[in-house]
Amino acid sequence: MPRSTRRSGSSGTSTPPSSLSSPPSKPLFPTISLRSSSPSSSSNKELSSSYQGSTPTLTARSSLLNVLTRPHHSAPTTSISMENSTNNSSSDEDTNYSDQSTISSYASSIISGTHMIDKTNLTSEDIAKVYENYLEKPFVNTKSTIKHSEFGHCNNPNWRWTSQWNPDEPIHPAEEPRPPYFTLLTTYISYILLIVIGHMRDFFGKRFRPAEYAHLMPQNGYAALNSDFDSFYTRRLKQRLEDCFARPVTGVAGRTIVCYDRASTDENKTFNLTGTTTRALNVSSYNYLGFASSTGGCADAVEACIKKYGVSGAGPRHDASTLDLHVQTENLVARFLGQESAMVVSMGYATNSTTIPALVGKGCLVISDEFNHASIRFGVRLSGASLRSFKHNDVDDLERILRDVISQGQPRTHRPWKKILLIVEGLYSMEGSLVNLPVLIELKKRYKFYLYVDEAHSVGAMGPNGRGVCDYFGVDPREVDILMGTFTKSFGAAGGYIAGSKQIMDRLRLRSHATAYAESVSPPVLTQIIASMGSIMGVAPPLAAPADIIDDRSDTMSIASRPTAYGPAPTYILPPWMKLPLNLLNGTEGRERLRRLAFNSRYLSSGLRKLGFIVYGHRDSPIIPLLIYNPGKMPWFSQLMLDRLGPDRTPVVVVVVAYPATPLITSRVRFCLSASHTKNDIDLILRACDEVGGLLGMKYGKQTMSVEEVISNAEELVAASF
Amino acid sequence: MSGIHTSISTLAATAQPASTEIPAPLIPLLSSLTSLIYTIEHLFNKVPGSPIIVRYIKSSYQDDPWRSVLELFLLAFAIRTVLKGRTRGEGEGKSFIKLTEKEIDELVDDFNPLPLADDPTPADSFTLDTVPTIYGPNGIKVKTSANGKTLLNLATPNWCGFIENDKMKQVAIETLGQYGVGTCGPSGFYGTIDVHQKAEADIASFIGTEASIIYSQAFALVSSAIPAFAKRGDIIVADRGVNFGIHKGLQISRSNIKWYAHGDMKDLERVLQSVERDRKRKGGKLTKKFIVAEGIFENDGMLLDLPKVIELKKKYKYRLILDECQSFGMMGAHGRGITEHFGVPANEVDMILGSLANGLATGGGFCAGSQVVCQHQRINSSASVFSASLPAMLATCGSAAIDILKAQPNLMTSLQSNIALFRQQLSKLEGDSKDALISIPSDPNSGLIHIFLLNPPDSLEEEELILQEIVDECQQTSNLLITRARRLRSQEVFEPEPSLKICISGYMARKDVEAAGRGLKAAIVKVCGNIVNKVDADCWFASWVDY
Repeated sequence: MPRSTRRSGSSGTSTPPSSLSSPPSKPLFPTISLRSSSPSSSSNKELSSSYQGSTPTLTARSSLLNVLTRPHHSAPTTSISMENSTNNSSSDEDTNYSDQSTISSYASSIISGTHMIDKTNLTSEDIAKVYENYLEKPFVNTKSTIKHSEFGHCNNPNWRWTSQWNPDEPIHPAEEPRPPYFTLLTTYISYILLIVIGHMRDFFGKRFRPAEYAHLMPQNGYAALNSDFDSFYTRRLKQRLEDCFARPVTGVAGRTIVCYDRASTDENKTFNLTGTTTRALNVSSYNYLGFASSTGGCADAVEACIKKYGVSGAGPRHDASTLDLHVQTENLVARFLGQESAMVVSMGYATNSTTIPALVGKGCLVISDEFNHASIRFGVRLSGASLRSFKHNDVDDLERILRDVISQGQPRTHRPWKKILLIVEGLYSMEGSLVNLPVLIELKKRYKFYLYVDEAHSVGAMGPNGRGVCDYFGVDPREVDILMGTFTKSFGAAGGYIAGSKQIMDRLRLRSHATAYAESVSPPVLTQIIASMGSIMGVAPPLAAPADIIDDRSDTMSIASRPTAYGPAPTYILPPWMKLPLNLLNGTEGRERLRRLAFNSRYLSSGLRKLGFIVYGHRDSPIIPLLIYNPGKMPWFSQLMLDRLGPDRTPVVVVVVAYPATPLITSRVRFCLSASHTKNDIDLILRACDEVGGLLGMKYGKQTMSVEEVISNAEELVAASF
Repeated sequence: MSGIHTSISTLAATAQPASTEIPAPLIPLLSSLTSLIYTIEHLFNKVPGSPIIVRYIKSSYQDDPWRSVLELFLLAFAIRTVLKGRTRGEGEGKSFIKLTEKEIDELVDDFNPLPLADDPTPADSFTLDTVPTIYGPNGIKVKTSANGKTLLNLATPNWCGFIENDKMKQVAIETLGQYGVGTCGPSGFYGTIDVHQKAEADIASFIGTEASIIYSQAFALVSSAIPAFAKRGDIIVADRGVNFGIHKGLQISRSNIKWYAHGDMKDLERVLQSVERDRKRKGGKLTKKFIVAEGIFENDGMLLDLPKVIELKKKYKYRLILDECQSFGMMGAHGRGITEHFGVPANEVDMILGSLANGLATGGGFCAGSQVVCQHQRINSSASVFSASLPAMLATCGSAAIDILKAQPNLMTSLQSNIALFRQQLSKLEGDSKDALISIPSDPNSGLIHIFLLNPPDSLEEEELILQEIVDECQQTSNLLITRARRLRSQEVFEPEPSLKICISGYMARKDVEAAGRGLKAAIVKVCGNIVNKVDADCWFASWVDY
């Protein structure tokens, strides 16, 4: 889709929404501030009623609002009616829809959900009352089959955005935001104290309480299983944070998650479940498109599959455990990504670790981003290839290294390298930063290296069509030699894929460890992949299926047909027994999800920046790392988000990450957003962060807006480029 | 106060011992030098704490000039280390050649890498083309084309028929309604679901260990659990016949690896003794020592002599890592693996690695052992930390399968009787008789049976061709789906011999098993007889090579 239309500015504002596939356009930010007027204007109610065909009673103001805000999203009319018709059996259910106007304050946003509370004085008890069932009962009345606790209902068409590269916005900030020196100093002091005291405790503990250190010391002639040096960090730092990790949960990791409450009496060595559970807003799981769900069309398809195929993929692919479903999934994945061929593996981690050794070996060089995932490093180590790493996302450093290695050749012998493989990630899971793909493609032409992009986090989550970073940047996917990704994150399934040209894939099928020795992907997981991926693509109306369905291995799209090639999938690509509901089949649901995720990501990322937090990463990234720095604040942040002090009391589960997953001082909390979150959820996260972050002194940057200002200006913030 | 000054002038004095007379042109130079030194000294004295430094340098110099030299050297070294690039091979190095930008540009232009994937050879195409695709569900009876005939599946591990078990399907659907499919997170970040913990507890109590930990793939488990414990400098004594996953784990561990002859306990003892001697001779500190072996070996179906290994491990103080990916769910009265088969308590083995995909027909793998062993992996095993956790339904189905195994020991007895029946059919082709065509090293109790040709042709490729011909013959005449053991030629550490891989299921009807044995026997006789008599395959092979 041409990028220019997207930035066509206000000229597109007056055109009525046309079709779903039309490119969205947005107004230039912000021309008129609408946010100073009275609260709780329910312009959306009017919007919605106009969609239902009743006579719209549009006031002049709300029609202005309407006109100004609509172009953010492609087709409110169509999409809304689609959603309503599928989610709600009768559309009058929506009359009480109070996904709130964008003009809202804390109180008013809550009030319009209920009618009995006096609108002027709100006590925190009142707010708490409104939020009592917030996580399970939608503010919107709906008869959707999908549980609100798994996938939030959010009908407001203004809260949508298209994830697409805007060349005016830099891919990486010119300068990384830096904390005040005081914070740096205290962070270093914290670690020094931790190390010194830890070693002192070890020293005395080993002498006075040997029983507790038995596993670190040789006994009966057996060397210690854990070297105390290796485990020092685990015992002395991680154990103090242990409550933030591996909290046992139950149910679906969707919009909300149910955690088991637990307590420790022995300094976090063991935990005892208290027997109670807490349902919390989930901004921790990799559920970008909200396909983690126990109900709905995908789940029904999976159920049909279990009845037909059973649960197991049994043996390795090459030992007669290749099902027709595997071939079908691979065809679908290849078409989804715009590649010639694809291969699925039963575990995301193993996709990297078993494939890289099949691509490169001795005499080859792998150039890897310093923040690449552990599975990539594992794979490179197995392969026996040489390794050079470059500074995270620093293309200048990369070019310097490329010139260096090509001119020097292999160490000592100075022979030219057999192959040079550049491995990068599309979206970095700890940084939220995007790869600079356009520049890499240029460098690739000059330096003739092969490009391997790990899209574990970006596939499904980035790009107007959800096809990952290639789609986001408008790059032809076949310019990238190998696209790798996982199904765990956006598709609510498990395992991973590799896609590329047919020749490379055949090579991998022959040489990858996974095809010969690892179990194949289990059929229910394959079905989840087909159903979720198919619903993002949309499936074309039934045409005559080709004679032999399975032998569609070389699904070639001519280069001329791209980049419009991200079209709907042909019907024969779904298994004949798979019945998907209409909203999944025609791609409307998938598109809505992509656009909700894009809005949520950009909104939270922008909002947190405005609140004065230091946030890494690109604003379009659904991964939003918020910097904590001081290790002591990590458990506090996690705990306070769970035991909220604010008036709404809605618990939020967050992931805190520290060394060794991040550099030593930049401990962070990482939000992973999802299409299943509603704008109210994001508001809630912003309020919670404001409250907890303010309390813990985590606003290291300059706060330019109050939290209520941020919330009422959500759409402007999303549209703005800063 | 003027300590430095005096010492420098002393130095100057010693440098010019003979003549006190200074040449005229040097005088202004020297005077300016003196004034410079004086200014520096003055400035230095203004710095707080400078007298302490001066006193320190003076005293250390007087006590021991070498100490000062050494300290200076250390300081220079530290500065150099700090300034040096972090990555190895960063422009320094002995073999680094300094080139001009123009030369580099030329070299970049000339750079001509190999293609990422080379063209497939005929052998490659042959391998890919002979991979069957199963249409419809996997199980005992399968189809390899949409409207093809039904074949008896002897290629998929399905020891107790769990693939088509309705109870497990039921459990899976129930789990789906509660948990969905994916877990959307690694176990450290809200990916630890209660069903995982239940499955872990179930496995541990079933096998009889203190704890267990679930991984989302058995292959990744094996290659990641070993390096979680074995590090550089540790000693691993491994059987030469171990599977590919273990090899990868050993490679990553960077430990000191000693091999013993496959299945040879005497050789194992010899290796253990030699390691012990080595250690005594060299001294040094106590390192971790592991024995790595498989219960039923994936590459040939042989059984490990577990009691002997336990005895040796205790004697020489090794820890035992036992890969039961094949034997779990297949051996023992309830399918607990070879510990149950031999009556050895499972907690005598330090780590038992098992596969839920092979043994229980769900997915994933587990490591059972002590609490310390399992907890260590939750933090230190890369495949456990950095990967999404196992889908909930695979975990609950695992628990369900264990319940079935516990409740129905007859599953194991019917598996054993089917194995015996099948082996009986093939027994005439084995052994020392002159009709013998094949050898089966696999244990008589093993459901995984590898069949090797007794008189293999000269090349591995030819042998694979003959085996494939047997596979095709079985499929055509007797409606059997069997497979060659697929290998990653040129990536294996010790190239395993080509073989046919048969998986017997207890769920098969006796008459089917009998017919399968007869069919396979006939196919082997037919194909191998052809080779002996007509040298047909050689011609075929020759034509194939020319192609």
